[in-house]
Amino acid sequence: MTTEPLAGTESSGIDRRTLLKTVGGSALAVALAGCTELLEGEQESAADADVPDEPIESGLQTFTEGAPSVLGIQAEYGAETAVRRINENGGIAGREMDLDVVEEGGAYLTNYQQFVDEGKDVTFGPISSSGHAEMVPEIEAQEVINVSTDGTVTTLYEEDFPDVTYSFRFQNHDVMEALAAVNQAVEVLGADSIDTYAGINPNYAFGQDEMNLFSQGIEKLTGAEQVYSGFPDLGTSDMSTHITEINGEEPDVVFSSCWGGDATLLLEQGHANDMFDNTELLVGTVLYGSANDMEEDLVDGPIYSGSRNFYWGEPSTDRWSPAADLVDEVQSEYGVVPTAHFMSGYGAVTAWATAAEKAVSLLGRWPEQEELAMVLENHGFFTPAGYHTMGSDHQGYSNAHFGELTWSDEHDAAALQDVNVFAAKNVSPPPGEISSDWIGSW
Amino acid sequence: MSRFLVDRDGETHVRLAEGMELTKSQAVLAAVGFVALLIVPDITRFTPLSFTAIHRGILFGLAAVGLNLLLRHTELVSFGHAAFFGVGAYAAAVLASQFDVSSGLLLLLGGVLAATTISVLIGYFVASYLDIYFALLTLAFNQVLYAFVLQSGYFNYSDGLNVRPDGLNPPALFGLQLSSTGYELVLYYFTVVVLIVSLLVMWKLVNSPFGRALDAIGQNRTRARFVGIPVEKYVWVAFVISGIYGGLAGGLFALLQLHVSPEATLYAFVSGEILFMAILGGFGTLVGPVIGGVVLVYLLVQAPFYIEYYNALTGLTLLAVVLFLPEGILGSIPKIGTGLSRRRRDPGLLREDLATIGSSLRRGVSRAVTTVRIIVFGVN
Repeated sequence: MTTEPLAGTESSGIDRRTLLKTVGGSALAVALAGCTELLEGEQESAADADVPDEPIESGLQTFTEGAPSVLGIQAEYGAETAVRRINENGGIAGREMDLDVVEEGGAYLTNYQQFVDEGKDVTFGPISSSGHAEMVPEIEAQEVINVSTDGTVTTLYEEDFPDVTYSFRFQNHDVMEALAAVNQAVEVLGADSIDTYAGINPNYAFGQDEMNLFSQGIEKLTGAEQVYSGFPDLGTSDMSTHITEINGEEPDVVFSSCWGGDATLLLEQGHANDMFDNTELLVGTVLYGSANDMEEDLVDGPIYSGSRNFYWGEPSTDRWSPAADLVDEVQSEYGVVPTAHFMSGYGAVTAWATAAEKAVSLLGRWPEQEELAMVLENHGFFTPAGYHTMGSDHQGYSNAHFGELTWSDEHDAAALQDVNVFAAKNVSPPPGEISSDWIGSW
Repeated sequence: MSRFLVDRDGETHVRLAEGMELTKSQAVLAAVGFVALLIVPDITRFTPLSFTAIHRGILFGLAAVGLNLLLRHTELVSFGHAAFFGVGAYAAAVLASQFDVSSGLLLLLGGVLAATTISVLIGYFVASYLDIYFALLTLAFNQVLYAFVLQSGYFNYSDGLNVRPDGLNPPALFGLQLSSTGYELVLYYFTVVVLIVSLLVMWKLVNSPFGRALDAIGQNRTRARFVGIPVEKYVWVAFVISGIYGGLAGGLFALLQLHVSPEATLYAFVSGEILFMAILGGFGTLVGPVIGGVVLVYLLVQAPFYIEYYNALTGLTLLAVVLFLPEGILGSIPKIGTGLSRRRRDPGLLREDLATIGSSLRRGVSRAVTTVRIIVFGVN
């Protein structure tokens, strides 16, 4: 899987024309990559194309309320920011974009169907893995492209729906963050020091998928033994029984894919019950997604988190201006620090928008859904998080980040330090290969 | 009078079947309702109304018609009717996803059989209980089923099951593997047929000696027992019939939705919604629960697309129904109709209405001022 050029590349260090070429050469692609200073004097490649005047209608479903909104609202801000940047830069091949946002909670199919009924040109979301799995056959039946912001269960495109046309996913799938967590644990403790591990994961497709992949990975790399695995319900109000089990077993590593309000609860109850005195390390794939929900005392301890495809501090914002600009823009617009789930929304819109503009410049007219779907396959594009590709399997790929949870006084929010960047090819199988087979072949 | 028109109490009635006679206004309403049902797909094509939301509403309404047999006639409030709806839906989903059954009708049959079995079992345990004990027991059984499905890998936990035998396409209907639009249309018209047959069966049932016995049980169990009605057995049978309606609706819901999850079908809130549908539409009527089903589902599903604070909407609707339309939407039509015709005859009444509204507002403000005075000063 191609991940070059890497996200860490210093923008000022690249030849201007090379970067413009890499991002697709259009004003839109450059704007969404966050490199607007490169735009000066460039011509819009698709300006003469035969495209309709009316705005593009799009719909996003995301969690806007309850515990999952910790992630969902970030995704909404991300999608809105991308749409704002698109419109400020003259739209997609001249077409402005409208975005309607609706709460996804439990109504995935209904939301998608309503968007299609309303004549949306494209739909984005959901965050929920099970909701995404529920939607895929409907998306294929309705033939209106959906780019899922998250919904990251690994088996979705590998086994359940290996041959789809209109359904895409922007975010890195579970295997990438689960294996990033394995690698991070090995790096911090050393393979020889990890004899036992345990897990606390949400009781649905995503949590079970992540635990399964982490188990396979860590057992393969270290030969460690699983001593406990608990699955609290999503949105639970109590994890103390699971934490008590962990305290009893004292595993070397605890793995968790808890997210949203569950991630905060795990840290709160973990601290209250001295879990961090009874384990060497907690590796959580998406703990950092709840950064805006965390207090300073919660991030104290041997706690490491992944940040999927985006962490604004890596590479450092003084070297990678698109990420720095984005943090400033989002903090002034919304008063939050953007997390990887911000990038879920931003990236899903960007994937579609840059592919649409590419399709217009190829065809000289606005593409049909099927044509746009073809262009989206193997499409590469930049965001402030770096370079992403949409695989032939409709799965998004980009670098994964993992670092120690700490507190940033500068941003008055949780942050990551000593961040490791894992290239996609190191933490996920190539398209067409099953993750568990690939891990088995190590 | 002809074969289809009969005279009853000096008024002409339209006779649809033996014993089924409607007044002229009822017949017009029924005809309008029937035509409206038939043209729903066309209406939704040319308006922003959602076809699937209306279809889904009809199915929940069908479950509410079943619940209404208990509510209206035996006066028993069930808080656990989602159990039958959910079992009907899950049975269809299990047959499709675990046993690759591809015939939609077989899936529906499976759903009805499973719901019947469960309602026989639950009915056996709850038939002799009354009031809050009956309500809580039904709720408890509902929650047991919900928790069981939620914790079971066989039912795929909270993620639920697809009702797609080949993984991607919907089941076959009447031996036909239809396109997405064709499938929706055929299923809709099949639902309409099922709904009409179910309503006729329910009408026949409640107007039979068995239905009268249920009325007697609802009014006074002890007296019903004294006149020789085997109360528990009759309640049990009514419970099972009610469960069959729930299973039928749930099975059709699975065929429509093509995915079944515990929260959407088995959760106790769904039971509450089915109960609310019966009350909203008018539980004193046969068709009211269907109207309530369509209205409530529409509010729940479509409101988020139009209103930011959509969660408050169902609460406000419930308040409005309880305060202003206690007989429900359909049940209040005669009252509203009479009121309107009186006002047409005597427009002076409108002035009185305004005066009534004005004086009740004045009274409200005065009460509020008094309350504030008491809170602030301790005395009036």
